Amino acid sequence: MRPRPGDAGSAPRPPVIDARALDKVYVMEGGFEVRALRGLDLQVDRGEYIAIMGPSGSGKSTLLQILGCLDAPTSGSYRLAGQEVAHMDEDALAEVRNRRIGFIFQAFNLLSRASAVRNVALPLMYRGVRAGERTERAAAALARVGLADRLHHRPNELSGGQRQRVAIARALVTEPDILLADEPTGNLDSRTGEEILALFDAIHREGRTVLMVTHEADVARRTERIVHILDGRVEASVRVEVGAP
Amino acid sequence: MILENLRSALEALAGNRLRSVLTLLGVMIGVFAVTTTISLGAIATAGITGQLQSFGNQALFITPNEDNPASTAFDDADVDALSRIPVNVLRQRSVRGVARVGTEEAPLSVNGVTANAPQVDRTIKLARGRYFTEAEDRRAAPVMVLSPDARDALFPVGANPVGREVSVTVGASRTFYTVIGVKEPLTGAFSFAASASADIPLQTLYLTYPAVTRGEYPFLPVTVSLERDLRDVEAQVDAVLTRRRGADTFRIQTIEGALTLFNTITTILQAVLGGIGAISLLVGGIGILNIMLVSVTERTREIGLRKALGARKGVILQQFLIEAVVLTLVGGLVGLGAAVGALYLAVALVPFLDTVVLSPWTLLLGLFVSVATGVVFGVWPASRAANLSPIEALRYE
Repeated sequence: MRPRPGDAGSAPRPPVIDARALDKVYVMEGGFEVRALRGLDLQVDRGEYIAIMGPSGSGKSTLLQILGCLDAPTSGSYRLAGQEVAHMDEDALAEVRNRRIGFIFQAFNLLSRASAVRNVALPLMYRGVRAGERTERAAAALARVGLADRLHHRPNELSGGQRQRVAIARALVTEPDILLADEPTGNLDSRTGEEILALFDAIHREGRTVLMVTHEADVARRTERIVHILDGRVEASVRVEVGAP
Repeated sequence: MILENLRSALEALAGNRLRSVLTLLGVMIGVFAVTTTISLGAIATAGITGQLQSFGNQALFITPNEDNPASTAFDDADVDALSRIPVNVLRQRSVRGVARVGTEEAPLSVNGVTANAPQVDRTIKLARGRYFTEAEDRRAAPVMVLSPDARDALFPVGANPVGREVSVTVGASRTFYTVIGVKEPLTGAFSFAASASADIPLQTLYLTYPAVTRGEYPFLPVTVSLERDLRDVEAQVDAVLTRRRGADTFRIQTIEGALTLFNTITTILQAVLGGIGAISLLVGGIGILNIMLVSVTERTREIGLRKALGARKGVILQQFLIEAVVLTLVGGLVGLGAAVGALYLAVALVPFLDTVVLSPWTLLLGLFVSVATGVVFGVWPASRAANLSPIEALRYE
């Protein structure tokens, strides 16, 4: 395993994700509590390519939500790119999501009424980028994922793979610190899934930090490190051997 | 951002076209009702005022004071005294009877007036024939001038009644009159006063119906030339009659007074119709509320996504508010358009409305009301949308 910051022989740069002792308790109807995370620690360096695996109920969805600043931990510390975000208010979290995080969902989550370029430009709008520049940057991001000729197509005029490419372009367009993908190939056939995974590989080679939740070992093996979550804790963090099948 | 929100609002509404149209119907009807009632009041007032001005004379109407039992009808000396002011006073007495021409029969009100009636009452205009002369009045000639309603009741369409004989039965007496003229229909504000009537010389009336006491007038119509100040004249009339008859034995009504009454009626009508408009706006607003809540629920995932991409509460609030306001604004504009159309139609169809009066304030009010409906009834659904938790929203199926 690569040395972690704070360990002996610390890295020159602080990790982009530094989550310590994360607890998340859900109070259900009827008052009983569910502890989804139990003192979870996770550090991710810039440029890492990570798969998060775990059985359902293990807390991996909760972890992804907290890492994605969609939810706040009950206790613990989460520093994202050096900034403590664990206890921010909602609007501040919205801004962190907008500037630092790119989401890619299993169900793509595109706006069905808007063209590809407007879907991709959406996060730039929430950042207050002017319309002309938004379109330009969105078009560039779409070109990056190979959809330069599909700018004005609506989601229903695109194939599943193309839709996920639009979603990836939307996640990339803001130049986020981390990309979070939740089963990005779950709704795709295996060949299209393979194309999307190749795209993730390429994005990672450009130096981006990618965290991907998956339940497929094949998918996980393409990454550099597999984090296994069980019962709300990191059960194991395994480096994938380069050149592994 | 606002433009983009406006664009997604239009897209969302266009995506549910039927629903949007049904929703804005309520607002449309409300704005239509509010705008139409306000403008219709203004148009009616303008119509009445215009008619009165076209009358060409200022008028007073003198009656005994009904609250004072000692107050009696006016006599010739009263009329003579008033005539010296000078004003035009019409001596008039009426009887009711039944008119007959051949087999046609109709109730008729017979007015005995002096030959100066067309000068005093400028609404008297002749379609055929002539009015009677002073000489005919003096010698009590059996001649009559028919109102258009009387002509229609007694003669076939297109027939010329001038020169024909009409028999009039009043009580036990039956008298024959020669028709010498037919009046033009009353127009405009006075058309409600149209009835089957005939003018005969006053002396003829006295001679034919001895039961009518000579020189007693239950009311006196008075006209004054436009150059004179009506208030001065009114004061003079008041002084003359007070000296002759004593205070509180008469009432002087002016057209202004009638206008005030008319305005009161208009205001009440406006209030009633405006109330209906307000209720339909309320109902329309509840429709907006309902549809916006449905829209928020339907688009929960979209809201979650937008939040995940960095939309703050305020932006989501704005998006759904804009959607509600666009909906009501479109409804308002359609309602205003319909109102303007209805007003032109009303002016074309209703005789005493002359011109369409459309104050820009009325139009602005209509727009403001529609926007306000959107804001008031959009705020709650919009804030529900804005306060959705992003995870819950994303997970929503």
